Amino acid sequence: MKQKDTAEILIDCQALWKIFGDRSGAAMSAVTQRGLTKTQVLQEFDCVVGVADASLQVRRGEIFCIMGLSGSGKSTLIRMLNRLIVPSSGRVLVKDRDLAGLNAAELRQMRARHIGMVFQSVALLPHRTVLENAAFGLEVQGLPKPERAKAAEAALRQVGLGDWMQRYPSELSGGMQQRVGLARAIAADPEIILMDEPFSALDPLIRRQLQDEFRQLTKELGKSAVFITHDLEEAIRIGDRIAIMKDGAIIQVGTAEEIVLNPADAYVADFVAGISRLHLVKAHSVMVPVTEFLKGSPGRDIAGLITTRPEADIDELIGLTVRSEDGAIAVAEEGSVVGVVTTRNLLLGVKGTPAAAPDTGIARRA
Amino acid sequence: MDSSIVVTTFDTWTDAALGWIGDHGGALFDAISAVLEGFYGALLWLLDQPPDYAVALLVALLGWRLIGARFALLAGLALLFCAVMGLWSETISTLALVISATILALLVALPTGVVAGYLPRLDAAIGPALDLVQTLPPYIYLLPAIALLGYGPATALAATVIVAMPPAIRLTALGIRMTPPEYIELGQASGITPMQMFFKIRLPFAVPSIMAGINQSLMMAFGMVVIAGIVGSGGLGATIYDAIRKLDIAKSIDAAIAIVVLTMVLDRLTQSASQVRQEGNP
Repeated sequence: MKQKDTAEILIDCQALWKIFGDRSGAAMSAVTQRGLTKTQVLQEFDCVVGVADASLQVRRGEIFCIMGLSGSGKSTLIRMLNRLIVPSSGRVLVKDRDLAGLNAAELRQMRARHIGMVFQSVALLPHRTVLENAAFGLEVQGLPKPERAKAAEAALRQVGLGDWMQRYPSELSGGMQQRVGLARAIAADPEIILMDEPFSALDPLIRRQLQDEFRQLTKELGKSAVFITHDLEEAIRIGDRIAIMKDGAIIQVGTAEEIVLNPADAYVADFVAGISRLHLVKAHSVMVPVTEFLKGSPGRDIAGLITTRPEADIDELIGLTVRSEDGAIAVAEEGSVVGVVTTRNLLLGVKGTPAAAPDTGIARRA
Repeated sequence: MDSSIVVTTFDTWTDAALGWIGDHGGALFDAISAVLEGFYGALLWLLDQPPDYAVALLVALLGWRLIGARFALLAGLALLFCAVMGLWSETISTLALVISATILALLVALPTGVVAGYLPRLDAAIGPALDLVQTLPPYIYLLPAIALLGYGPATALAATVIVAMPPAIRLTALGIRMTPPEYIELGQASGITPMQMFFKIRLPFAVPSIMAGINQSLMMAFGMVVIAGIVGSGGLGATIYDAIRKLDIAKSIDAAIAIVVLTMVLDRLTQSASQVRQEGNP
């Protein structure tokens, strides 16, 4: 965790706002000066607040998911990261450069070399072959044909489409088309990939397969990604960190485990209620300190317990608990026992209540 | 009484304006006339070189490639029938007139359409002008043209060019404007230049619409070319006009058949050319 905090920040969004409408400028200054709400902006200026005061940092090598329902502003937010949409207020720094300060040519360079994008609609050019589509980004950068064909071919092989290069997009299934979209984004070798609900239109089986492949590939290539989705399960499967958006604002940012265990408000709690904790909640979140454990059962021999890692998930803990004699598992880190998971802790964890604050968790639900 | 003064004044102005243009722009219109006639003459000479059966064979082969054997056979036979009717040279000069008018119209219409596709304001401004051109009876264009360019193919050509332009302008602008927004976004996100956006994204998506516009312009040109028989276009238009004056119904029907043959052959060929492009864009 601590390592991540110090990792290089690739995208830094500072207090981004986007207001749509003819009088968006006036509405924006009214928001900053008088702090109008979304509804007031709509009534007074006939403008729609797309994104409200969103700040986030994406670190190198990280997959950052932005989860929100339709109309929550997530698509607007991702488009401000490469300036397809110009923010009404706030700054976007990509690799420490303020996008607002770039001229047209510099912005094109930035988009072409550093920020790839994959769209929900895929947007493959129908009159070009798969290979030509994958090479599109390099073609517009002016790379000679053999070089761009080579890079596009490598990218297509990485997404498993090596045998389909001379086909046309219409001959491919939806899942394969989206792989071409991904190949097109990675062919230019950008550090950052923006994914705008890329898998939303696919059937569940293909979607899961692509989610896993995408995560694996991104990690393998060492890319950073911002991934938009309306599906919390998808965000959890893919994301290292997740931001949850509602009505244009980011209401919580954290790892899947943090969000599931400590939802920021009732809205998030509602969302995470249906999420299975089995693979999400880890031993270090449900364990109690050794001293506390000993208070409940004095004189127990800690060394005699089955031992596991802090990263063991609930699923693993259940397996261990079933095998243990009295349902207590020791959690050890670097040789020393840092906590104990009892059956009670485990059940609370399955329910989604962190061990540290069982009472508040229950109160929040009621 | 008042109203008649208004009308008379307007008519006087119109006449005066046309007279002024004729007096002061003489050299200009002579030049325009020379260019038009030169272009038409060159094309006519070219089309007139091969014998009738060679042209029929060529069209049949083209039709076979683009459409199919049945169309090829019918088109070849129909063209030979025009020769059998003794109307071959008229058919060819009508063909030359239509093709040269369409080419000249497209030279203006395609760039205008592209610009209008990019600039909604220009599109809104030329919209009413195109409406006017398309709703006025085609005869209207013949009189000023004859006043300025004189009796002959140049006048027919000029009037035909004007009539043929609107569909190509409209459909080109439409095609350029109707690029699916996700592809515009793809282009922007890929960091492409405005020029690349035009050639690599907007134009390919606009091709079917532009081809439809070219086909429509060709059809408008055919319609006008017959009417332009009155101002000395020559060709089948002149044959029909002549036959009408002499009440030679049989002759007029012969010429009408030749026109129909020519129109249908060219219509099918250009339509299929646009469809081939679309199939190439699966």
